[in-house]
Amino acid sequence: MAAEITLDVRGLEPPEPMVKVLDALETMPPGDSLRMVHNREPFPLYGILQQDGYQYRTETFADGHFEIVIWR
Amino acid sequence: MNAPASGLSLEQAPPISVPFRFFLSAPLFLLLAALLVLVSGPQALASRWTPALLALTHLITLGFLSMTMIGALMQQLPVVAGAPMRRQQVVAWMVHIPLLAGTLMLVSGLFYSQTALLRLAIFPLGFAFSTFLVAAAGSLSASQVHHATTRAMRFAGTALALAAGLGITLAGTLGGYFNLPLNELIGLHVGWGLLGWVGLLVMGVAYQVVPMFQLTPAYPARLTRWLGGSVFLLLCGWSLAPQLPLPLATWGTSLTAAGLAIGFALFAGTTLYLHKKRRRKLVDVTLRFWRTGMLSLLAAIALWTTAHLTSAIADDPRYPIALGILFMFGFAISVVIGMLYKIVPFLVWLHLQSRLPRDKPAPNMKQIIPDHGSRRHWWMHMATLLLLLGSMAWPQLVYPAGLSLGLASCMLWLNLLAATRLYRQLAR
Repeated sequence: MAAEITLDVRGLEPPEPMVKVLDALETMPPGDSLRMVHNREPFPLYGILQQDGYQYRTETFADGHFEIVIWR
Repeated sequence: MNAPASGLSLEQAPPISVPFRFFLSAPLFLLLAALLVLVSGPQALASRWTPALLALTHLITLGFLSMTMIGALMQQLPVVAGAPMRRQQVVAWMVHIPLLAGTLMLVSGLFYSQTALLRLAIFPLGFAFSTFLVAAAGSLSASQVHHATTRAMRFAGTALALAAGLGITLAGTLGGYFNLPLNELIGLHVGWGLLGWVGLLVMGVAYQVVPMFQLTPAYPARLTRWLGGSVFLLLCGWSLAPQLPLPLATWGTSLTAAGLAIGFALFAGTTLYLHKKRRRKLVDVTLRFWRTGMLSLLAAIALWTTAHLTSAIADDPRYPIALGILFMFGFAISVVIGMLYKIVPFLVWLHLQSRLPRDKPAPNMKQIIPDHGSRRHWWMHMATLLLLLGSMAWPQLVYPAGLSLGLASCMLWLNLLAATRLYRQLAR
């Protein structure tokens, strides 16, 4: 069964959020997904995800935080 | 709840050469400013109208501030607004070269009182600013992102259009093209340029970068929601108030000016308060530059307020110069340098990250511009600020001030150059 791991990167100094997400994606088994919890929309990360062949979906929340679900 | 995934790919994100050409040119204008101070000596600061001081002001506002702010915006628009700029490499060429050439023409025209150069400078500067503004407006209008920062960027862009338009009208008036009242135009040009373009952009960018890089809580939403718009409206009111019949004109001008002072004081005070509340208690170099900037902004506001209450200060020819030193050097230049020390390493890292194979990680941010280099620069920057302010009381201090400004600009340039060279080496 496909699993989802959650990674909360709020409060980390750039580029730590991106480093953590890319590291986690390296070791993620195919079919699983990663949920990144962030306090802004990571536009530069989107470019790298597209280049590396990942798909993603961004959810916005009323309190201003974002959750980005990433899978391949 | 699902937001559309925005279509920013790495091909659309600007190549690193787009912002870096602006960043690497800017410190050279500060170096020129230092040489100008050394060549002109104490009489440069005799009044705000000396040719040397007019040239100096434009080396700072056009050559350093606008140069870095435009470069940073060309990079930031895709990142904070998710709106890539079209044909950014062409736009970068079409803005950078004419801005560079136009600034040199204008500054030499002002310094040598050559009206022919002022008339000529209008064309490259007008071309550079209009190209940039059209490209930025296109990018912002395509953006799906609406928050306090993109709003402030729109206001700042409008202020730039007004300040540049007024500047071109002024250069044309001095060059003999038009016959318009200089003093009123200068007041408007300075107001829209410094409080509108510089002040509003710093505000908008701070909403993003202070929490992001200095790890503070977010700016309170009830402040960010209205502050940028209020400053913009107050600037409009302040510009139009003199058209009212007396005594309404005087009251209108004083009230709107006081409102602007309160708006900027709130911004500076909130930023300092957020710095106190930051999660990581480390004092890095960007934080030092930003604190210097916010304290200078508060000092400028205090000086301005005192001058409004004491005519002895308001009538002193040194007053507008001291105000200019605090606002332009103490506030604007400090904040921009603080920003550069975060965005330059970040961009080097980001571009290397996407170019290098996964098993060869990009160097970390601290290796790209080492702390000791930027910290040494901060000390030199502080010495320059204090010497410049000191020269208001002891004019001979302009010589050590010019020297330390020269050294500080070389330090900045070398730090930025080292980051660029590291990128070139690793990206090969």
